Amino acid sequence: MRNRQIFLKPEEIPRQWYNILADIKINPPLGPDGKPISPDQLAPVFPMNLIEQEVSTERWIDIPDEVLDVLSIWHPTPLVRAYNLEKVLGTPAKIYFKNESVSPPGSHKPNTAVPQAYYNKAFGIKKITTETGAGQWGSALAFACCQYGIECRVFMVRISFDQKPYRKTMMATWDANCVPSPSNETKAGRDALEQNPDTPGTLGIAISEAIEAAVADDSGQTRYSLGSVLNHVMLHQTIIGLEAKKQLEKVGDYPDVVIGCAGGGSNFAGLAFPFTQDKINGRQIDILPVEPAGCPTLTQAPFVYDHGDTAKYTPMLPMYSLGHTFVPPPFHSGGLRYHGMAPTVSQLVDEGLFEARSVTQSDAYRAGILVARTEGIIPAPETTHALALTIAEAQKAREEGKEKVILFNWSGHGQLDLGAYEAYLAGNIKDIELSPEDLHGSEKVYADYPKPQHLKSR
Amino acid sequence: MSDPNIDNMELRCPRLGSLIPFRYCLISGEGDLPCMKIMDCWWEIFDVDAYLKENLPAEAYNKLVTAQPRSKVATIVEIAEEAKKNK
Repeated sequence: MRNRQIFLKPEEIPRQWYNILADIKINPPLGPDGKPISPDQLAPVFPMNLIEQEVSTERWIDIPDEVLDVLSIWHPTPLVRAYNLEKVLGTPAKIYFKNESVSPPGSHKPNTAVPQAYYNKAFGIKKITTETGAGQWGSALAFACCQYGIECRVFMVRISFDQKPYRKTMMATWDANCVPSPSNETKAGRDALEQNPDTPGTLGIAISEAIEAAVADDSGQTRYSLGSVLNHVMLHQTIIGLEAKKQLEKVGDYPDVVIGCAGGGSNFAGLAFPFTQDKINGRQIDILPVEPAGCPTLTQAPFVYDHGDTAKYTPMLPMYSLGHTFVPPPFHSGGLRYHGMAPTVSQLVDEGLFEARSVTQSDAYRAGILVARTEGIIPAPETTHALALTIAEAQKAREEGKEKVILFNWSGHGQLDLGAYEAYLAGNIKDIELSPEDLHGSEKVYADYPKPQHLKSR
Repeated sequence: MSDPNIDNMELRCPRLGSLIPFRYCLISGEGDLPCMKIMDCWWEIFDVDAYLKENLPAEAYNKLVTAQPRSKVATIVEIAEEAKKNK
Protein backbone atom coordinates (compact mmCIF):
# COMPACT_ATOMS: atom_id res chain seq x y z
CA MET A 1 0.00 0.00 0.00
CA ARG A 2 1.25 3.47 -0.85
CA ASN A 3 2.13 5.75 2.01
CA ARG A 4 -0.35 8.47 1.13
CA GLN A 5 -0.29 10.43 4.39
CA ILE A 6 2.88 11.59 6.10
CA PHE A 7 2.46 12.07 9.83
CA LEU A 8 4.55 13.58 12.56
CA LYS A 9 4.58 11.99 15.97
CA PRO A 10 2.76 14.05 18.62
CA GLU A 11 6.11 14.98 20.20
CA GLU A 12 7.35 16.30 16.85
CA ILE A 13 4.86 19.19 16.85
CA PRO A 14 6.76 22.51 16.43
CA ARG A 15 7.56 24.19 19.76
CA GLN A 16 8.08 27.65 18.30
CA TRP A 17 6.39 29.83 15.71
CA TYR A 18 8.46 31.49 13.02
CA ASN A 19 8.20 35.28 12.96
CA ILE A 20 8.94 36.64 9.50
CA LEU A 21 9.28 40.17 10.87
CA ALA A 22 12.76 39.12 12.04
CA ASP A 23 13.82 38.62 8.45
CA ILE A 24 12.04 41.36 6.51
CA LYS A 25 11.66 45.10 6.67
CA ILE A 26 8.15 46.44 6.53
CA ASN A 27 6.49 49.82 6.16
CA PRO A 28 4.33 50.55 9.21
CA PRO A 29 0.60 51.41 9.00
CA LEU A 30 0.13 55.17 9.29
CA GLY A 31 -2.47 56.94 11.42
CA PRO A 32 -4.50 59.99 10.37
CA ASP A 33 -1.62 62.19 11.55
CA GLY A 34 0.74 60.46 9.15
CA LYS A 35 2.59 58.78 12.02
CA PRO A 36 2.83 55.02 12.58
CA ILE A 37 0.02 53.54 14.69
CA SER A 38 1.38 52.87 18.19
CA PRO A 39 0.81 49.79 20.38
CA ASP A 40 -1.03 52.03 22.88
CA GLN A 41 -3.69 52.76 20.30
CA LEU A 42 -4.40 49.03 20.07
CA ALA A 43 -4.45 48.39 23.84
CA PRO A 44 -8.21 48.86 24.35
CA VAL A 45 -8.85 46.29 21.62
CA PHE A 46 -6.24 43.55 22.08
CA PRO A 47 -4.42 42.23 25.15
CA MET A 48 -0.89 43.60 25.50
CA ASN A 49 0.76 40.17 25.17
CA LEU A 50 -0.72 39.83 21.66
CA ILE A 51 0.19 43.42 20.81
CA GLU A 52 3.77 42.58 21.80
CA GLN A 53 3.65 39.67 19.37
CA GLU A 54 2.19 41.97 16.73
CA VAL A 55 5.28 44.19 16.81
CA SER A 56 7.90 41.62 17.83
CA THR A 57 10.94 41.07 15.65
CA GLU A 58 12.13 37.96 17.52
CA ARG A 59 12.65 35.24 14.92
CA TRP A 60 11.35 32.34 17.02
CA ILE A 61 8.56 32.65 19.56
CA ASP A 62 7.86 29.81 21.97
CA ILE A 63 4.45 28.17 21.73
CA PRO A 64 3.15 27.87 25.30
CA ASP A 65 2.47 24.33 26.53
CA GLU A 66 -1.16 25.28 27.19
CA VAL A 67 -1.52 26.19 23.51
CA LEU A 68 0.24 23.04 22.31
CA ASP A 69 -2.06 20.99 24.48
CA VAL A 70 -5.14 22.29 22.64
CA LEU A 71 -3.51 22.30 19.19
CA SER A 72 -2.63 18.64 19.76
CA ILE A 73 -6.33 17.80 19.43
CA TRP A 74 -5.74 17.83 15.65
CA HIS A 75 -2.06 18.73 15.17
CA PRO A 76 0.27 17.73 13.68
CA THR A 77 -2.02 17.72 10.66
CA PRO A 78 -1.27 15.22 7.89
CA LEU A 79 0.77 16.03 4.83
CA VAL A 80 -0.86 14.17 1.96
CA ARG A 81 0.61 13.02 -1.34
CA ALA A 82 -2.07 13.60 -3.99
CA TYR A 83 -1.31 10.46 -5.99
CA ASN A 84 -4.69 10.31 -7.71
CA LEU A 85 -4.50 13.91 -8.84
CA GLU A 86 -0.97 13.35 -10.17
CA LYS A 87 -2.21 10.34 -12.12
CA VAL A 88 -5.21 12.09 -13.64
CA LEU A 89 -3.00 15.02 -14.69
CA GLY A 90 -0.31 12.72 -16.05
CA THR A 91 2.29 14.91 -14.43
CA PRO A 92 5.79 13.93 -13.34
CA ALA A 93 5.37 16.42 -10.48
CA LYS A 94 4.90 15.22 -6.92
CA ILE A 95 1.93 17.04 -5.42
CA TYR A 96 1.63 17.35 -1.65
CA PHE A 97 -0.98 19.18 0.40
CA LYS A 98 -1.12 20.12 4.03
CA ASN A 99 -4.55 19.06 5.19
CA GLU A 100 -5.83 21.78 7.52
CA SER A 101 -9.43 20.70 7.00
CA VAL A 102 -9.08 18.17 9.81
CA SER A 103 -9.40 20.70 12.64
CA PRO A 104 -12.59 20.58 14.74
CA PRO A 105 -14.13 23.62 12.98
CA GLY A 106 -12.85 22.37 9.60
CA SER A 107 -10.26 24.98 8.64
CA HIS A 108 -6.86 26.49 9.48
CA LYS A 109 -8.54 29.28 11.48
CA PRO A 110 -8.22 27.68 14.93
CA ASN A 111 -4.41 27.73 14.53
CA THR A 112 -4.64 31.37 15.59
CA ALA A 113 -7.95 31.28 17.48
CA VAL A 114 -6.41 28.94 20.06
CA PRO A 115 -3.33 31.03 20.91
CA GLN A 116 -5.41 34.21 20.81
CA ALA A 117 -7.84 32.77 23.35
CA TYR A 118 -4.94 31.55 25.48
CA TYR A 119 -3.11 34.91 25.51
CA ASN A 120 -6.34 36.72 26.34
CA LYS A 121 -6.89 34.38 29.26
CA ALA A 122 -3.28 34.81 30.41
CA PHE A 123 -3.84 38.59 30.36
CA GLY A 124 -6.89 38.25 32.59
CA ILE A 125 -9.52 38.67 29.90
CA LYS A 126 -12.85 36.97 30.60
CA LYS A 127 -14.71 37.63 27.38
CA ILE A 128 -13.76 37.87 23.70
CA THR A 129 -15.84 39.46 20.98
CA THR A 130 -15.56 39.05 17.25
CA GLU A 131 -17.53 39.33 14.04
CA THR A 132 -18.12 36.60 11.52
CA GLY A 133 -19.58 36.36 8.06
CA ALA A 134 -20.85 32.86 7.48
CA GLY A 135 -19.29 31.62 10.70
CA GLN A 136 -15.96 30.01 9.81
CA TRP A 137 -13.94 32.36 12.01
CA GLY A 138 -16.70 32.60 14.60
CA SER A 139 -16.79 28.85 15.04
CA ALA A 140 -12.99 28.66 15.27
CA LEU A 141 -12.94 31.27 18.03
CA ALA A 142 -15.91 29.64 19.77
CA PHE A 143 -14.01 26.35 19.83
CA ALA A 144 -10.86 28.04 21.17
CA CYS A 145 -12.65 30.03 23.88
CA CYS A 146 -14.46 26.90 24.99
CA GLN A 147 -11.13 25.15 25.51
CA TYR A 148 -9.97 27.87 27.91
CA GLY A 149 -13.28 28.66 29.58
CA ILE A 150 -13.58 32.16 28.15
CA GLU A 151 -16.91 33.72 27.24
CA CYS A 152 -17.22 34.28 23.49
CA ARG A 153 -19.63 36.65 21.82
CA VAL A 154 -19.89 36.49 18.04
CA PHE A 155 -21.68 39.12 15.98
CA MET A 156 -22.81 37.29 12.87
CA VAL A 157 -24.06 39.26 9.88
CA ARG A 158 -27.84 38.86 9.89
CA ILE A 159 -28.16 37.55 6.34
CA SER A 160 -25.74 34.71 7.13
CA PHE A 161 -27.25 34.15 10.58
CA ASP A 162 -30.56 33.43 8.90
CA GLN A 163 -29.02 31.32 6.12
CA LYS A 164 -26.38 29.30 7.95
CA PRO A 165 -27.97 27.46 10.84
CA TYR A 166 -25.18 24.90 11.16
CA ARG A 167 -22.41 27.36 11.88
CA LYS A 168 -24.35 29.06 14.65
CA THR A 169 -25.26 25.67 16.07
CA MET A 170 -21.58 24.79 15.98
CA MET A 171 -20.79 27.96 17.92
CA ALA A 172 -23.57 27.29 20.43
CA THR A 173 -22.30 23.74 20.89
CA TRP A 174 -18.96 25.24 21.88
CA ASP A 175 -20.79 27.49 24.34
CA ALA A 176 -20.40 30.72 22.39
CA ASN A 177 -23.13 33.30 22.16
CA CYS A 178 -23.79 34.11 18.52
CA VAL A 179 -26.08 37.08 17.93
CA PRO A 180 -27.34 38.44 14.63
CA SER A 181 -25.87 41.78 13.63
CA PRO A 182 -27.13 44.50 13.76
CA SER A 183 -28.17 43.88 17.36
CA ASN A 184 -29.57 46.07 20.08
CA GLU A 185 -26.47 45.49 22.19
CA THR A 186 -24.35 48.28 20.73
CA LYS A 187 -24.78 51.83 19.52
CA ALA A 188 -23.52 50.81 16.08
CA GLY A 189 -26.18 48.11 15.92
CA ARG A 190 -28.98 50.29 17.25
CA ASP A 191 -28.12 53.03 14.75
CA ALA A 192 -28.29 50.56 11.89
CA LEU A 193 -31.60 49.12 13.08
CA GLU A 194 -33.07 52.57 13.52
CA GLN A 195 -32.20 53.36 9.93
CA ASN A 196 -33.67 50.08 8.66
CA PRO A 197 -35.26 47.59 11.08
CA ASP A 198 -35.19 44.90 8.39
CA THR A 199 -31.56 45.36 7.42
CA PRO A 200 -29.72 42.13 6.51
CA GLY A 201 -26.61 43.59 8.14
CA THR A 202 -23.09 44.01 6.77
CA LEU A 203 -19.64 42.91 7.79
CA GLY A 204 -18.79 46.55 8.49
CA ILE A 205 -21.58 46.87 11.04
CA ALA A 206 -20.67 43.52 12.63
CA ILE A 207 -17.02 44.61 13.04
CA SER A 208 -18.15 47.88 14.60
CA GLU A 209 -20.40 46.00 17.01
CA ALA A 210 -17.70 43.54 18.04
CA ILE A 211 -15.10 46.24 18.67
CA GLU A 212 -17.60 48.47 20.47
CA ALA A 213 -18.69 45.57 22.70
CA ALA A 214 -15.06 45.06 23.71
CA VAL A 215 -14.09 48.69 24.20
CA ALA A 216 -17.29 49.64 26.03
CA ASP A 217 -16.79 47.08 28.80
CA ASP A 218 -15.73 49.26 31.75
CA SER A 219 -14.37 46.27 33.65
CA GLY A 220 -11.53 46.06 31.12
CA GLN A 221 -12.03 42.31 30.93
CA THR A 222 -13.26 42.13 27.34
CA ARG A 223 -11.16 42.23 24.20
CA TYR A 224 -11.72 41.82 20.47
CA SER A 225 -10.21 39.14 18.25
CA LEU A 226 -9.44 39.13 14.51
CA GLY A 227 -8.68 36.03 12.47
CA SER A 228 -6.74 37.45 9.53
CA VAL A 229 -4.35 40.13 8.23
CA LEU A 230 -2.54 40.96 11.51
CA ASN A 231 1.10 39.99 12.06
CA HIS A 232 0.39 37.82 15.09
CA VAL A 233 -2.24 35.90 13.10
CA MET A 234 0.35 35.13 10.42
CA LEU A 235 2.79 34.12 13.16
CA HIS A 236 0.42 31.59 14.71
CA GLN A 237 -0.35 30.09 11.30
CA THR A 238 3.31 29.26 10.64
CA ILE A 239 2.74 25.98 12.44
CA ILE A 240 1.39 24.79 9.07
CA GLY A 241 4.61 25.38 7.14
CA LEU A 242 6.86 24.31 10.00
CA GLU A 243 5.11 20.96 10.21
CA ALA A 244 5.14 20.58 6.42
CA LYS A 245 8.91 21.09 6.32
CA LYS A 246 9.46 18.34 8.87
CA GLN A 247 7.08 16.02 7.04
CA LEU A 248 8.77 16.56 3.69
CA GLU A 249 12.13 15.90 5.30
CA LYS A 250 10.82 12.49 6.37
CA VAL A 251 10.29 11.53 2.72
CA GLY A 252 13.41 13.29 1.47
CA ASP A 253 11.59 16.01 -0.46
CA TYR A 254 11.66 19.79 -0.54
CA PRO A 255 9.18 21.90 -2.52
CA ASP A 256 10.09 23.63 -5.75
CA VAL A 257 6.74 25.41 -5.64
CA VAL A 258 4.64 26.52 -2.64
CA ILE A 259 1.05 27.62 -3.26
CA GLY A 260 -1.69 29.06 -1.06
CA CYS A 261 -4.83 31.09 -1.56
CA ALA A 262 -4.05 34.71 -0.68
CA GLY A 263 -7.43 35.94 0.68
CA GLY A 264 -6.50 37.97 3.77
CA GLY A 265 -3.17 36.17 3.75
CA SER A 266 -3.24 33.87 6.75
CA ASN A 267 -3.49 30.41 5.23
CA PHE A 268 -1.00 31.31 2.54
CA ALA A 269 1.41 32.92 5.02
CA GLY A 270 1.08 29.99 7.40
CA LEU A 271 2.38 27.57 4.80
CA ALA A 272 4.73 29.91 2.96
CA PHE A 273 6.59 31.92 5.60
CA PRO A 274 8.78 29.09 6.94
CA PHE A 275 9.86 28.37 3.34
CA THR A 276 10.32 32.08 2.70
CA GLN A 277 12.99 32.09 5.35
CA ASP A 278 14.87 29.51 3.26
CA LYS A 279 14.37 31.62 0.14
CA ILE A 280 15.72 34.68 1.92
CA ASN A 281 18.75 32.54 2.74
CA GLY A 282 19.29 31.68 -0.90
CA ARG A 283 17.18 28.58 -1.60
CA GLN A 284 15.55 28.42 -5.04
CA ILE A 285 11.81 28.09 -4.56
CA ASP A 286 8.73 29.57 -6.24
CA ILE A 287 6.28 30.89 -3.65
CA LEU A 288 2.94 31.70 -5.25
CA PRO A 289 0.00 33.40 -3.52
CA VAL A 290 -3.09 32.97 -5.65
CA GLU A 291 -6.20 35.12 -5.73
CA PRO A 292 -9.42 35.32 -7.72
CA ALA A 293 -8.86 36.89 -11.14
CA GLY A 294 -11.70 39.26 -10.38
CA CYS A 295 -9.56 41.26 -7.97
CA PRO A 296 -5.92 40.94 -8.96
CA THR A 297 -4.59 43.36 -6.37
CA LEU A 298 -1.21 41.82 -6.00
CA THR A 299 -0.74 40.85 -9.58
CA GLN A 300 -1.76 44.14 -11.15
CA ALA A 301 -1.62 47.04 -8.73
CA PRO A 302 1.30 49.32 -7.81
CA PHE A 303 2.69 49.32 -4.24
CA VAL A 304 2.18 52.78 -2.76
CA TYR A 305 1.14 54.66 0.32
CA ASP A 306 -2.51 55.42 -0.25
CA HIS A 307 -5.56 56.69 1.57
CA GLY A 308 -8.46 54.33 2.03
CA ASP A 309 -10.93 56.80 0.57
CA THR A 310 -11.33 59.41 -2.12
CA ALA A 311 -11.79 62.16 0.45
CA LYS A 312 -8.35 61.24 1.83
CA TYR A 313 -9.61 61.22 5.41
CA THR A 314 -8.39 57.73 6.27
CA PRO A 315 -4.83 56.82 7.23
CA MET A 316 -2.23 56.26 4.55
CA LEU A 317 -1.01 52.70 4.37
CA PRO A 318 1.50 50.86 2.29
CA MET A 319 -0.72 48.85 -0.04
CA TYR A 320 -1.30 47.63 -3.53
CA SER A 321 -3.72 50.02 -5.15
CA LEU A 322 -4.98 51.19 -8.49
CA GLY A 323 -5.67 54.76 -7.55
CA HIS A 324 -8.61 56.89 -6.55
CA THR A 325 -9.37 58.20 -9.97
CA PHE A 326 -9.41 54.83 -11.58
CA VAL A 327 -12.56 54.22 -13.58
CA PRO A 328 -12.89 50.63 -14.64
CA PRO A 329 -13.44 49.91 -18.29
CA PRO A 330 -16.74 48.29 -19.19
CA PHE A 331 -17.05 44.63 -18.42
CA HIS A 332 -13.49 44.18 -17.17
CA SER A 333 -13.97 46.47 -14.23
CA GLY A 334 -14.39 43.86 -11.57
CA GLY A 335 -10.88 42.58 -11.90
CA LEU A 336 -9.17 45.78 -11.04
CA ARG A 337 -9.95 46.56 -7.46
CA TYR A 338 -7.79 46.57 -4.38
CA HIS A 339 -8.77 44.34 -1.47
CA GLY A 340 -7.29 43.89 1.97
CA MET A 341 -4.19 41.79 2.32
CA ALA A 342 -1.78 41.11 5.17
CA PRO A 343 0.94 43.79 5.00
CA THR A 344 3.66 41.14 5.37
CA VAL A 345 2.41 39.30 2.28
CA SER A 346 2.15 42.57 0.32
CA GLN A 347 5.69 43.42 1.32
CA LEU A 348 7.09 40.11 0.14
CA VAL A 349 5.30 40.39 -3.19
CA ASP A 350 6.79 43.84 -3.59
CA GLU A 351 10.26 42.45 -2.89
CA GLY A 352 9.82 39.75 -5.49
CA LEU A 353 10.07 36.93 -2.97
CA PHE A 354 6.49 35.96 -3.79
CA GLU A 355 5.03 35.93 -7.27
CA ALA A 356 1.28 36.52 -7.12
CA ARG A 357 -1.01 34.66 -9.51
CA SER A 358 -4.71 34.73 -10.19
CA VAL A 359 -7.34 32.26 -11.36
CA THR A 360 -10.92 32.69 -12.51
CA GLN A 361 -13.85 31.54 -10.40
CA SER A 362 -14.76 28.88 -12.93
CA ASP A 363 -11.21 27.50 -13.05
CA ALA A 364 -11.21 27.39 -9.27
CA TYR A 365 -14.48 25.46 -9.01
CA ARG A 366 -13.49 23.17 -11.86
CA ALA A 367 -10.32 22.35 -9.93
CA GLY A 368 -12.26 21.90 -6.70
CA ILE A 369 -14.53 19.34 -8.29
CA LEU A 370 -11.69 17.47 -9.99
CA VAL A 371 -9.74 17.23 -6.74
CA ALA A 372 -12.82 16.29 -4.70
CA ARG A 373 -13.28 13.42 -7.16
CA THR A 374 -9.64 12.33 -7.07
CA GLU A 375 -8.55 13.02 -3.47
CA GLY A 376 -11.96 12.66 -1.86
CA ILE A 377 -12.18 15.82 0.25
CA ILE A 378 -14.58 18.57 -0.80
CA PRO A 379 -12.46 21.71 -0.57
CA ALA A 380 -13.56 25.04 0.89
CA PRO A 381 -14.17 27.55 -1.90
CA GLU A 382 -11.04 29.49 -0.89
CA THR A 383 -8.95 26.34 -1.21
CA THR A 384 -10.10 25.84 -4.80
CA HIS A 385 -8.01 28.81 -5.90
CA ALA A 386 -4.87 27.08 -4.65
CA LEU A 387 -6.01 23.88 -6.32
CA ALA A 388 -6.47 25.59 -9.70
CA LEU A 389 -2.94 26.98 -9.61
CA THR A 390 -1.54 23.67 -8.39
CA ILE A 391 -3.10 21.96 -11.39
CA ALA A 392 -1.69 24.62 -13.73
CA GLU A 393 1.79 24.20 -12.24
CA ALA A 394 1.55 20.41 -12.46
CA GLN A 395 0.54 20.67 -16.11
CA LYS A 396 3.44 23.03 -16.73
CA ALA A 397 5.79 20.50 -15.12
CA ARG A 398 4.41 17.86 -17.49
CA GLU A 399 5.01 20.07 -20.52
CA GLU A 400 8.52 20.85 -19.34
CA GLY A 401 9.16 17.24 -18.33
CA LYS A 402 10.28 18.34 -14.87
CA GLU A 403 9.83 16.27 -11.71
CA LYS A 404 8.90 19.21 -9.54
CA VAL A 405 7.67 18.99 -5.97
CA ILE A 406 4.55 21.12 -5.51
CA LEU A 407 3.16 21.88 -2.07
CA PHE A 408 -0.15 23.61 -1.40
CA ASN A 409 -2.31 24.37 1.59
CA TRP A 410 -5.69 22.66 1.83
CA SER A 411 -7.02 25.34 4.13
CA GLY A 412 -10.45 23.92 4.88
CA HIS A 413 -13.26 21.64 3.81
CA GLY A 414 -16.33 22.85 1.98
CA GLN A 415 -19.03 20.76 3.57
CA LEU A 416 -20.85 23.85 4.82
CA ASP A 417 -20.33 25.67 1.52
CA LEU A 418 -22.12 23.38 -0.88
CA GLY A 419 -24.31 26.19 -2.14
CA ALA A 420 -21.27 27.66 -3.83
CA TYR A 421 -20.67 24.41 -5.70
CA GLU A 422 -24.32 24.33 -6.65
CA ALA A 423 -23.96 27.75 -8.29
CA TYR A 424 -20.99 26.51 -10.33
CA LEU A 425 -22.63 23.23 -11.28
CA ALA A 426 -25.71 25.17 -12.44
CA GLY A 427 -23.46 26.89 -14.99
CA ASN A 428 -23.69 30.37 -13.54
CA ILE A 429 -19.99 31.17 -13.81
CA LYS A 430 -18.18 32.00 -17.05
CA ASP A 431 -14.60 32.84 -17.95
CA ILE A 432 -13.63 36.38 -18.87
CA GLU A 433 -9.99 37.35 -19.24
CA LEU A 434 -8.61 40.73 -18.19
CA SER A 435 -6.71 42.84 -20.66
CA PRO A 436 -3.44 44.38 -19.42
CA GLU A 437 -4.26 47.53 -21.41
CA ASP A 438 -7.23 48.10 -19.13
CA LEU A 439 -4.94 48.31 -16.13
CA HIS A 440 -2.61 50.93 -14.72
CA GLY A 441 -4.41 53.92 -16.26
CA SER A 442 -4.63 55.82 -13.02
CA GLU A 443 -1.21 55.35 -11.48
CA LYS A 444 -0.35 59.00 -12.09
CA VAL A 445 -2.70 59.86 -9.23
CA TYR A 446 0.11 58.86 -6.87
CA ALA A 447 2.60 61.37 -8.21
CA ASP A 448 2.32 63.58 -5.12
CA TYR A 449 1.96 60.81 -2.55
CA PRO A 450 4.74 59.57 -0.27
CA LYS A 451 6.04 56.29 -1.61
CA PRO A 452 6.69 53.37 0.71
CA GLN A 453 10.29 52.30 0.53
CA HIS A 454 10.81 49.28 -1.67
CA LEU A 455 12.56 47.59 1.20
CA LYS A 456 14.81 44.62 0.55
CA SER A 457 15.14 42.03 3.24
CA ARG A 458 18.05 40.29 1.54
CA MET B 1 -33.27 50.11 -9.89
CA SER B 2 -34.75 46.69 -9.95
CA ASP B 3 -34.52 43.79 -12.34
CA PRO B 4 -35.68 40.65 -10.55
CA ASN B 5 -33.78 38.43 -12.99
CA ILE B 6 -30.55 40.08 -11.97
CA ASP B 7 -31.34 41.02 -8.39
CA ASN B 8 -32.14 37.45 -7.40
CA MET B 9 -29.02 35.88 -8.90
CA GLU B 10 -26.89 34.28 -6.21
CA LEU B 11 -23.15 33.95 -5.75
CA ARG B 12 -20.87 33.02 -2.89
CA CYS B 13 -19.75 36.17 -1.12
CA PRO B 14 -16.00 35.95 -0.37
CA ARG B 15 -16.37 38.34 2.58
CA LEU B 16 -19.32 36.63 4.23
CA GLY B 17 -18.55 33.13 3.00
CA SER B 18 -22.11 32.31 2.08
CA LEU B 19 -24.43 32.47 -0.92
CA ILE B 20 -26.03 35.87 -1.22
CA PRO B 21 -28.31 37.47 -3.80
CA PHE B 22 -27.05 40.30 -6.02
CA ARG B 23 -29.60 42.63 -4.41
CA TYR B 24 -27.69 42.30 -1.13
CA CYS B 25 -24.49 43.44 -2.85
CA LEU B 26 -26.35 46.53 -4.00
CA ILE B 27 -27.02 47.69 -0.44
CA SER B 28 -24.20 46.32 1.69
CA GLY B 29 -21.52 48.95 1.18
CA GLU B 30 -20.75 52.04 3.19
CA GLY B 31 -23.58 54.52 3.39
CA ASP B 32 -25.93 53.96 0.51
CA LEU B 33 -23.31 52.43 -1.74
CA PRO B 34 -23.14 48.88 -3.06
CA CYS B 35 -20.49 46.57 -1.60
CA MET B 36 -17.00 47.68 -2.61
CA LYS B 37 -16.38 44.23 -4.10
CA ILE B 38 -19.55 44.08 -6.17
CA MET B 39 -17.70 44.31 -9.47
CA ASP B 40 -14.91 42.00 -8.35
CA CYS B 41 -17.40 39.27 -7.63
CA TRP B 42 -19.89 39.65 -10.44
CA TRP B 43 -17.78 40.56 -13.47
CA GLU B 44 -17.51 36.91 -14.44
CA ILE B 45 -21.28 36.48 -14.35
CA PHE B 46 -22.65 39.45 -16.26
CA ASP B 47 -21.81 43.02 -17.27
CA VAL B 48 -22.18 44.38 -13.77
CA ASP B 49 -20.34 47.58 -14.66
CA ALA B 50 -22.89 48.52 -17.32
CA TYR B 51 -25.71 47.59 -14.97
CA LEU B 52 -24.39 49.84 -12.20
CA LYS B 53 -23.63 52.69 -14.58
CA GLU B 54 -27.19 52.55 -15.80
CA ASN B 55 -28.84 52.20 -12.42
CA LEU B 56 -26.75 54.17 -9.95
CA PRO B 57 -26.66 57.96 -9.74
CA ALA B 58 -23.44 59.16 -11.40
CA GLU B 59 -22.02 60.39 -8.11
CA ALA B 60 -22.65 57.07 -6.38
CA TYR B 61 -21.15 55.17 -9.30
CA ASN B 62 -18.02 57.28 -9.27
CA LYS B 63 -17.74 56.94 -5.51
CA LEU B 64 -18.02 53.17 -5.81
CA VAL B 65 -15.43 52.67 -8.53
CA THR B 66 -12.92 55.01 -6.95
CA ALA B 67 -13.33 53.91 -3.32
CA GLN B 68 -10.58 51.95 -1.61
CA PRO B 69 -11.09 49.74 1.45
CA ARG B 70 -9.18 50.71 4.55
CA SER B 71 -6.45 48.79 6.29
CA LYS B 72 -7.76 46.54 9.04
CA VAL B 73 -5.48 47.96 11.73
CA ALA B 74 -6.38 51.55 10.91
CA THR B 75 -10.07 50.64 10.76
CA ILE B 76 -9.93 48.90 14.13
CA VAL B 77 -8.22 51.87 15.78
CA GLU B 78 -10.75 54.24 14.25
CA ILE B 79 -13.77 52.19 15.39
CA ALA B 80 -12.30 51.76 18.88
CA GLU B 81 -11.73 55.50 19.26
CA GLU B 82 -15.25 56.23 18.07
CA ALA B 83 -16.67 53.67 20.51
CA LYS B 84 -14.71 55.17 23.41
CA LYS B 85 -16.13 58.57 22.57
CA ASN B 86 -19.67 57.17 22.62
CA LYS B 87 -19.31 55.44 26.00
